[in-house]
Amino acid sequence: MPQIELINVSYSYRVGEGQTVRALRNLSFSVERGEFVALTGMNGSGKSTLAKLLNGLFIPSAGDVIVDGINTRDEERTFDVRRKAGMVFQNPDNQMVATIIEDDVAFGPENVGIPREEIIERVDWALEAVGMSEFRTRSASKLSGGQKQRVAIAGVLAMKPDIIIFDESTSMLDPEGRAEIMGVAKKLNAEGITVITITHNMDEAAQADRVIVLKKGRLVLDGTPGEVFASPEVEACGLALPPATELAAMLTQRGFSFEGTVTDEDTLVEGICAQLN
Amino acid sequence: MRAVELKGLTYTYSAKTPFEKRALDNVDLAVEEGEFVGLIGATGSGKSTLIQHLNGLVKVQQGEVIVRGMNASDKKSLKKLRFAVGMVFQYPEYQLFEDSVAKDVAFGPKNMKLDKEEVERRVRRAMEVVGLPYEEFAERSPFELSGGEKRRAAIAGVIAMEPEILVLDEPVAGLDPVGRREILSLVRKLHEEVSPTVIMVSHYMDDIAEMADRIVALKEGKIVADGTPAEVFGAREKLAAAGLALPTAARITDALAARGIELPRTIVTARELADALAAYRTARRTATPADADGEGED
Amino acid sequence: MFRDIAFGQYYPTGSVVHRMDPRMKLLLTIMFVVAIFFVNTYFGFMLTAAVLLFIILIAKLPMLSVLKSVRAIIFIVIFAAIINLFMIRDGEVLWSWKVLQITDQGVHTTIKMTLRLVLLISGASLLTLTTTPVEVADGTESLMKPLALIKVPVHDIAMIMSIALRFIPTLFEETQKIIAAQKARGASFDTGGLIARAKSLLPVLIPLFVNSFRRADELAFAMDARCYNATEKRTKMKVMRFGVADFVAFFIIAAYFVAVLLDRYYFGGTMDSLIFGGLV
Repeated sequence: MPQIELINVSYSYRVGEGQTVRALRNLSFSVERGEFVALTGMNGSGKSTLAKLLNGLFIPSAGDVIVDGINTRDEERTFDVRRKAGMVFQNPDNQMVATIIEDDVAFGPENVGIPREEIIERVDWALEAVGMSEFRTRSASKLSGGQKQRVAIAGVLAMKPDIIIFDESTSMLDPEGRAEIMGVAKKLNAEGITVITITHNMDEAAQADRVIVLKKGRLVLDGTPGEVFASPEVEACGLALPPATELAAMLTQRGFSFEGTVTDEDTLVEGICAQLN
Repeated sequence: MRAVELKGLTYTYSAKTPFEKRALDNVDLAVEEGEFVGLIGATGSGKSTLIQHLNGLVKVQQGEVIVRGMNASDKKSLKKLRFAVGMVFQYPEYQLFEDSVAKDVAFGPKNMKLDKEEVERRVRRAMEVVGLPYEEFAERSPFELSGGEKRRAAIAGVIAMEPEILVLDEPVAGLDPVGRREILSLVRKLHEEVSPTVIMVSHYMDDIAEMADRIVALKEGKIVADGTPAEVFGAREKLAAAGLALPTAARITDALAARGIELPRTIVTARELADALAAYRTARRTATPADADGEGED
Repeated sequence: MFRDIAFGQYYPTGSVVHRMDPRMKLLLTIMFVVAIFFVNTYFGFMLTAAVLLFIILIAKLPMLSVLKSVRAIIFIVIFAAIINLFMIRDGEVLWSWKVLQITDQGVHTTIKMTLRLVLLISGASLLTLTTTPVEVADGTESLMKPLALIKVPVHDIAMIMSIALRFIPTLFEETQKIIAAQKARGASFDTGGLIARAKSLLPVLIPLFVNSFRRADELAFAMDARCYNATEKRTKMKVMRFGVADFVAFFIIAAYFVAVLLDRYYFGGTMDSLIFGGLV
C-alpha cells in the first residue's frame, strides 16, 4: 500500500461573491514510503494548496487523500494524520510560537500530551538531528534564516513523523541556508523519512528522486529529474532548467553529446571528461 | 560626475554597550556614473548598512558619503540626495499601502513636491516601464495583484522618482523562475532607460556574474575584493577566505580542473564555459593527430 | 538594534535570585508591593531600602540598572511631589505666598510619598531585571491555574502572552524596515501639525497591519499542523519547582512584611521618634 494516495482530488475555494478558484483539478498520484519527491510549478499552479491537503489542513472539495490508510476527511483522526505528516512552512519567522528554542520544539509533543520525560528526550534528539543542540536555550530572534528553519524542522521531528512536507521552506533563505535545509532533508530521507518538498528552485527539484510538475492545478509531469527536465513541457509550465541542464544544452549545441538529460553538476563533469580525455 | 563616493566610512551599532557591533570598517569606494555594481557578501557582512548610507537612511558616524557631489551629512541637501538614490529593499511589495496602484506609485513623486502633471507623467511612465500598463492596473488595489506584479508595482514606486542611482537589495528573493527572469530583465532595462547607475545586492552569484560590470565583495564590514566579475571570481583563495560562493560555471571549471581539464579561472558565465570547452576540444583534436604522427615517425 | 527586545530589561548575572522560581518571585513582588503601602514611618522606609539593597547585592546587579527604571518615572514622581507639597494644608504653615502655602505635614507626606514611589519601582524592577519575560509569562500561567476551575481560559491567555513576546522583536524589526523604505520614497514623519503627522504614519501602519494579518494566518496554519488543541490533556516540558532559595526568600520577605505591620500598628511611630528625635 502506498504511504500517501491521492484519488481524483479537486480543491476549489471562493473569492468574493460567486467567484470560485479551482486550485486543483482531478489529481491522482501516490507516494511510496521513503521517497524524496519534489513538487513544483509556477506561482498559482496549486502546489502549496496541494501541500496543505497532504496533512489535513485542507480537505479536498472532491476526491480523497489517504495518508497511511487514514482518509484526511475522517475528522476524528485529523491529528493522527498531522502527527504522521509534519510540515515546515515558508517563512521562518511565522511558524515559531515560543521565544526560547527548546520551548518551540516542545510545542508539538506538548499539544498531543506526550509525558514530560519523553518530551525532553525528543527535544534533545530532534535538536541534535538538525545540529542545533547548542542553541537550545537561546532566543529564536537571533538566529539566521537557515537556523530558524532547522529549529522548525526539529519542532516537526519531535512529533516523530513518517513524512515531512517542506512547503517552500527554502525560498526565503540565502544559498547557505538553502544548502543547510537541503542537507538536513537528505539526511532525514536517508534515515527513512519520506520527504515531499514544494519548491520553485530547479536546482533543488533536480536533487529529488522524483519530480512532479503542476500547471494550473493539473498534474502534467511526473518522473525522475532526468525524465522531467527532458520534456519540452517544462518551459510551458513556467519553469526553468537546472543550471547543469542548461549548460549541457549549450554544450550540445557546440557538438558535445550527453547520455540522457543531465540534471546535476557531477554527471555533467563526468560527461565532459568522457568526451575530452 | 561620480555617482557615489565613500571615504573612510565606519559604522558601529550599539556603540559602548555589550552589544556593540562594527558593521562597516573604513570603507573606501567610488562608483562612476553608468556602472552596474554587484555588491556581494555573506549575511551580516555590512551590505545593508552600506546601502542604507547611500541615501541618508543611516546617519554617517565616521567618514564621508558623497552622492553626486552632495554630502550625506549636509542636512540641507539630504532630501535632494535621497531623491537621487532609489532604494528597492528586499521584498519591496511589503511596503505597498495605498488603495490603488497608481496612488502608491505616486507616493514618491508627490513627496518630491512635483506638480500634478509631472506626477501623473512619471506614474504612467514608471508603470509602463515595469510592465504594468497604466490603463489596466492604475485603479487596481496593489493587495490583489499576483506576487510578481506586486513586486513590479513596488519597483515602479521607486523608479517613478526617476533616481539617477538605483539600489536593489535581493530583487529576485522568493520569486519563481518566471518571476526571476522578468525582474532580472527589468533591472537591465532600468539600467538602460531610467537609472544609469545601478548597485545590486544579491546572493545569487550566477545573476551577479551575468549582469554586473563590477563586483564589490564585503566581509565583516571591509571591502575584500573589487573588480570585474572575472577578476573577483578568478581570485579563488580570496573569495573562499571571504566565505563567498562561486557562480555555477566557475564551480564546474574547478571540478574539471581537478580532472585534468585546465580552463581559464576567469570563466564566470555558462556561455563562457561552453565556448571555452568547445575551443578546448578543437585545440585537442588538432593537436592530438599531430602528436600521434610525430610518435609514428620516431 | 542588536539588543534583544525579547529579553526586555533582563540583566543576566546568574545569581541565586535569577535562578529562583519565577512564581515565587512574582508572589514576593506582589507581597512587597502590598507591604510598601502599609509603610508610613521613616523607620519603615529605611527597613524597605535595606531589604532592597540586600536583594540587589545578592542578585549582583549594578545599582545603575535599578536606578535606570526609576529614571523612567522621574517626571511622574516630581509632578506628584509638587502637587502634594502645595495641596496639603493641615499642620503648621512653614511658608506661604499668595494662595500657595507649605505645611510641615505637607513636607512629610511629600517625602514619604516620593520614597514610596521610588522604592516601589525599584522593587518591581528587581523582578524584570532578574527574570526573563518568558519566565514571567510561564510563572503567571502557573499561578493563574486555579482560575481554570471557574472557566477562565488560562492556557489560551498564556499562549497569547507567549506569542506576543515571541513576535515583539519580529514586528519591531519589520516596522524599522518599512520606515526605512518609506523614508527612501521621501516620506517624513516629523514635520507638520498633529494631524499631518498622524497621517504620515499611514504608509507605515497599513503595511504593518497587512503583514501582521498574513503572519497571523501563517502562524495559525503552523500551529494547526503541529496539533494545537489536539487534546485537553496537554502536557508541559518545563515544570517549575520551589527550591531552598525560594523558601529562604519567602521567609525574608514575610519577616519584612511582619516588621512593617508591627511598626505601623504596634509601635505606631515610636521607632521614628527614637531614631530621629524631634525631627518628626
